[in-house]
Amino acid sequence: MAMSHKARILAAAHRQAVDKLPFGARIDVWYNYHCAHGTLPEKYEGWNMVDILRDQGAGVQVRHMRIWKLEYDNLEVVTREDPPYTITEWRTPVGAVSLKTVFRPEEGSWIVYEVDHPFKSKEDYPVIEYIFQNTRVVPDLSEYQQKEKMVGEDGIVITGMDMYSPMQQIMRYWLGYERFFYELHDHPVQVGQLYELQKEVAKKKLEILGESSVEIPMLCANWSDEFHTPVFAKYFSPWLREASDYLHSKGKVTQVHSDGEMRRLIPLFLETGVDVAEAWTPMPMTSVTTGELRKAWGDKVTVWGGIPAVLFEPQYTDQEFDTYVIDLFKQIAPGYNFIIGMGDNLPFDGRIERVGRIVELIDKYGSMPMKL
Amino acid sequence: MIDYSALKKAVIDGDDERTAQLVKEAIEQHADPADIVTLGLQAGLVTVGEKFSSGEFFIPEMLLAARTVTRSLDIIRPLVSDSDMITAGKVVIGTVVGDLHDIGKNLVGMLLGGVGFDVLDLGTDVYPKRFVTAVMEHKPDILGMSALITTTMPAMEATIQALESANIRRQVKVIVGGAPVTQHFADQIGADGYCSNGGSAIELCNRLVGR
Ligand code: B1M
Repeated sequence: MAMSHKARILAAAHRQAVDKLPFGARIDVWYNYHCAHGTLPEKYEGWNMVDILRDQGAGVQVRHMRIWKLEYDNLEVVTREDPPYTITEWRTPVGAVSLKTVFRPEEGSWIVYEVDHPFKSKEDYPVIEYIFQNTRVVPDLSEYQQKEKMVGEDGIVITGMDMYSPMQQIMRYWLGYERFFYELHDHPVQVGQLYELQKEVAKKKLEILGESSVEIPMLCANWSDEFHTPVFAKYFSPWLREASDYLHSKGKVTQVHSDGEMRRLIPLFLETGVDVAEAWTPMPMTSVTTGELRKAWGDKVTVWGGIPAVLFEPQYTDQEFDTYVIDLFKQIAPGYNFIIGMGDNLPFDGRIERVGRIVELIDKYGSMPMKL
Repeated sequence: MIDYSALKKAVIDGDDERTAQLVKEAIEQHADPADIVTLGLQAGLVTVGEKFSSGEFFIPEMLLAARTVTRSLDIIRPLVSDSDMITAGKVVIGTVVGDLHDIGKNLVGMLLGGVGFDVLDLGTDVYPKRFVTAVMEHKPDILGMSALITTTMPAMEATIQALESANIRRQVKVIVGGAPVTQHFADQIGADGYCSNGGSAIELCNRLVGR
């Protein structure tokens, strides 16, 4: 009997044999955009995303942000709307910080964007430290479980560390990238202290993940070598190693969302113990080919991705799309430890039929071991 | 004759204190402020840009060097307030509508600021109309647009068309950048310049203002 999409994805993530090349497709940018604009293709009007992917014959990748809630002791969190922005304020006995975010699902996005970060000056260190020290992480699995049920054997619901590992959380969310690097230079002790405290919060998230049914917890996201390489060995690898070891002890494998330029992170990745590099985005969207990546990693890391988002756009002809996909198959043959997917999504002007076309090409060339 | 190599090196190292000290020493030795800026500070930053372009440097080095220069310019500025030496030209920069990515755009803005451009950053998600208004209001030499998503790139062309409709296209040089943007695309939409990374943005803008 043929394996299900889910069984194939999980087997490849665990570096086990599969009958056919696994495919886990991600289309939420396309789906969110067209739902918001009322422009889904006629056939799919009123459909949910999972059913559209089923209709295309593809394995499903659905995102879920988190399986916990953050609750706070001894401080107040006040949120107010100032359209299009949301302002969140943490009021603590040692001071207050505020965050300004915007959410633009009509552009396809599933995440909020921080317009103004909580950390504004060094006076905010004690406040943010206080927030971290008074954060509780409480399991909140019901929505995830509903999505899991909806997807069933047809794919995977991806969730994990709130998207970010502790230092990435500080860089991206609390300080913002530029301020982060200034602060790391000017006040390394204070930044180090935030990191240690955020690690404690992260450990609580890991425990919840460890006890959950999440199969491939996502440990971090949105890497790009221009800004992550200098801090990777010190702040990313050790934590990712610790988190992966812990989750391995719970029978799980781990993944990261590696959707940016990875050239200089490729050698460093092997130190992390992470099993799956998801959203792998090769040339022409980055400088690295899948062949180069496979050469560097061998069978040590399972790669999920390989088809850059732009290939789905009308600027590439159907013929060029086929040629790219078949060439990718050649680069990864015999095909083990690989899950075909998007780098990182179907863009809103992308052609949904090409998802189905990948399924046809896998049916034609993707029986294991692939011989091309 | 002052040797600016130490000052240049301090900028490359992103060493604020040493840079400030060397700038003050040069001023005490009656160096021409224009030389301190061009032969010391900006020369250092140009090297940093080159090292970033070649992959030797990463974003933190660029940020620290740019900040070092900005801070040192604050020491020099009172001495040359009537001179146009520090202002290489005016740049209005922003990420196009629908796009919230700003890391690359911020970096380009900081580097240009560091080498003497007067930079006005409109932020992210900037509509063509807002770019047009900013050009009318601030009369920049250069309008810079950044896009990180293929689906937001058409907003660059829309902005150029909006500049044309407002009859101000010829007043300003338009440059575009961001990971998915290419020279071919820039040519296609009628931009005046494209650069693939922050380092080369300095060279491009200098060229466009005839420096
Ligand atoms: C004016 O003159 C100039 C001159 C030179 C200029 C210039 C202007 N602008 C840039 N340059 C040049 O100089 C800079 C320095 O060398 C360079 O700038 P860059 O910006 O290229 O480089 C930076 C220094 C480092 N690089 C980056 O900062 C981008 C890295 C990647 C991983 C990335 C990140 C970090 C983020 N993202 Co997003 N993100 C990706 C990126 C992957 C990639 N391959 O690019 C990309 C761009 N993202 C994408 C997507 C889809 C999205 N992102 C989103 C959000 C985010 C984060 C918020 C998580 C974060 C941005 C944080 C921030 N403050 O900017 C969402 C979009 C929200 C929105 N409406 O904008 C969302 C839709 C995700 C979602 N599903 O919600 C993809 C776009 C795909 C496409 N069709 O083109 C993407 C390519 C990832 C992928 N593999 O598919 C040069 O390009």
